[in-house]
Amino acid sequence: MGAELGRVLAERPAPAGAIDAARMRRERYARLHAEMARHGVEVALLLHGPHVAYASGLPVQAVDVTHAIFERPVAIVVAGEDRPHLLGDDIGPALDVERHAAAWPELDEGAAALARLLAEVAGPLAGRRVAVDEQTGAMLRAGVLDGATVVDASHLLGAARLTKTPDELACIAEAQRRNEQAMLAVQHLARPGATRSEVAGAFLARLCDLDLDAGAGAGAGAGTGGNLIDPIFQPMPRTVADGPRTTTGNVAFPTGVGDPTLAEGDLVWVDTGIEHLGYASDYGRTWVVGRDPSRPERQLFERWCEVMVSVLDVLGPGVTGGDLCRAAEAANDGARPWLPHFYLAHGLGLDSAEMPLVGTDLGPEFDDGLVMAPGMVVVLEPVIWADRVGGYRAEEVVAVTEDGWCHLGGGHPYAPFTL
Amino acid sequence: MTTSATTPTTAGDAELRAARRDRVFAAMATTRLDVLVLGRRDSVAYATGARSLWTAGTRPFGAACVLVARPRSTHVLSTWDAGVPPEVPFGHLYGITWNPATMAASLAAIPGLPEARRLGVDALSPGFERAAHRLAPGAELVPADDVLRAARAVKLPAEVDRVRAAVAVAAAGVEAATAALAADATPGEARAAAVVAAAAQGVTVPSSAPVVQVVDRASSLIHVDIGLLVDGYEGGLGRTVALPGGGSDARSAGVVVAQRRLLDACRPTATARDLRAAAGGATRWMVRGSGMGFEPPVVTHTLGERAVVEQGMVLSVEVEVEGLRRRDLALVGADATHVF
Repeated sequence: MGAELGRVLAERPAPAGAIDAARMRRERYARLHAEMARHGVEVALLLHGPHVAYASGLPVQAVDVTHAIFERPVAIVVAGEDRPHLLGDDIGPALDVERHAAAWPELDEGAAALARLLAEVAGPLAGRRVAVDEQTGAMLRAGVLDGATVVDASHLLGAARLTKTPDELACIAEAQRRNEQAMLAVQHLARPGATRSEVAGAFLARLCDLDLDAGAGAGAGAGTGGNLIDPIFQPMPRTVADGPRTTTGNVAFPTGVGDPTLAEGDLVWVDTGIEHLGYASDYGRTWVVGRDPSRPERQLFERWCEVMVSVLDVLGPGVTGGDLCRAAEAANDGARPWLPHFYLAHGLGLDSAEMPLVGTDLGPEFDDGLVMAPGMVVVLEPVIWADRVGGYRAEEVVAVTEDGWCHLGGGHPYAPFTL
Repeated sequence: MTTSATTPTTAGDAELRAARRDRVFAAMATTRLDVLVLGRRDSVAYATGARSLWTAGTRPFGAACVLVARPRSTHVLSTWDAGVPPEVPFGHLYGITWNPATMAASLAAIPGLPEARRLGVDALSPGFERAAHRLAPGAELVPADDVLRAARAVKLPAEVDRVRAAVAVAAAGVEAATAALAADATPGEARAAAVVAAAAQGVTVPSSAPVVQVVDRASSLIHVDIGLLVDGYEGGLGRTVALPGGGSDARSAGVVVAQRRLLDACRPTATARDLRAAAGGATRWMVRGSGMGFEPPVVTHTLGERAVVEQGMVLSVEVEVEGLRRRDLALVGADATHVF
């Protein structure tokens, strides 16, 4: 079954094509405008990084949330206007936006200035439908949206972002390829005695090199090569009972705490994500430290491959999330082969997990109502767990196409497991 | 599999957590908040000590933590107890959910929340605003980011120790990048060297975007600025320096003097007016708070009208003079500003 998974993935590579960033921005802006029209929204005020990126083309900065919120760019989209307003410092010349000074919406003085600018570019808001994703305390104190009929902007953005344009898919594929290259370069470092931080540091260092190789040279967070998640190399317990206590009674992952030292025979679940022009990758594998996988461990992997082949066999436009869940369960003796606090699959884009979410606690009715469509990104991450043996977890990123799906990324080996 | 050893910087964690928590509950009492709902990772870490996986950038607002004044209790969004300090009982964890109804049920089960009259938030989404009105029908929603920030502004002695440790890691990163550039590395290679140096001390999480630039090839001037988080506290250092063999640059002395003048102005009761006067010669400058990341106050030529420097604040003080930059974290003392 492993060999079959390898063949299936190799048969459906992502279409080759250069990324046209300007076209991508135009198409996203048009989609956002269409959603605003559909919801009768006249003005959208966007603060969440990926939302600003979608509306304006300014990629998210790969920095800590505290820097991201204070120094954040803000986008204002007014229905009928042919370009967004972008409030921020050092906006590159390539972006087709109305430029304004940085907003500083965390500060009372910034929020007051934001209210004035909103009135200037959009007119009085009272009585109009205004979409917003988040308000800072300062914005609430300043009454930035007083009198407006406030709509949740995440619904508009969610709908616009649910399917990707070819350029968006190409960005994800590029991020995934770079992510895979960097992980391939550091896998040999995950040996007995190594700490998580050593391997993570080598991975992050490799990203700096890849960034340079690509000729970008702009630095992490400047739109390419930025690291989006503290690299996860989590040695897993062999039984659920030996791990952290959980509200689900299942295994805890990813905890993101501590700096474990790897020991021979550890099953290590690895998970990393970087960005290209703001678009996320998602790399997941299970590594074995210092030795080849045992026979029971190989059986976990074999079962994982069976689940993947079964789900990919079903995946295509018109198929529901429920269909995917049932295919996965059928290949796993009827049991759900994924973590109960997560999903069988999630979308990927400007956020590292976004719609479509398949197999979550939103429940079977939600899954059955979620219809796959061309342009959706599906990150499959089944988990096979056998208490006392341990677990196998890996991820593959695919996109739904007109006639099925294609594989985003370069086709990374599963070593030390073999197909 | 072995678990990590406790690093020196995490010694005394329980006392620090207790002191921070007391400050937050005291601030809730002063501002008559019955419940405080926190969405931001740094807010949650300050109030509870809970650690979680670092991810870059903003997250959509959600109730990541609920603090109830009476009976005093702390509830944390987490599916597992890893990273959750022992004073938060397992029964006070509510797991990750994608289902708003499940989240609402978890929050509704928190004793004291449905009866709240004043419910504070550190930010607000339209979705949580709707949910809050259903969960606590009698509650007034109050922006409480300012309450929390005021509680955090003056650092506890143990926090100062943590900042000092974090600055040491940042300095190691700056040193590694500078040494790499001196050995003819490219900026990308030098950035990688800084990353590896920090990782060697167990640190893999940035606060600000790392900067490694060749400013002026002719005089071998390079600029390096590293900001990172060590056990949740921010360390940072930025330097424009001439590489060996590049000769000295008169501008280097200028930026040192300009930063010293600004540092000296960061005295208790200093206002934006005082800092602007001291920063007169700088082409660009910023004074901002630092602690568990970027914090207020923020003072520049245009920001900080109502900012007042207080003793015990940690400030990031950066100036640029003729293209040369210099940034340090400093502790505001009664008589002097101490650079870490």
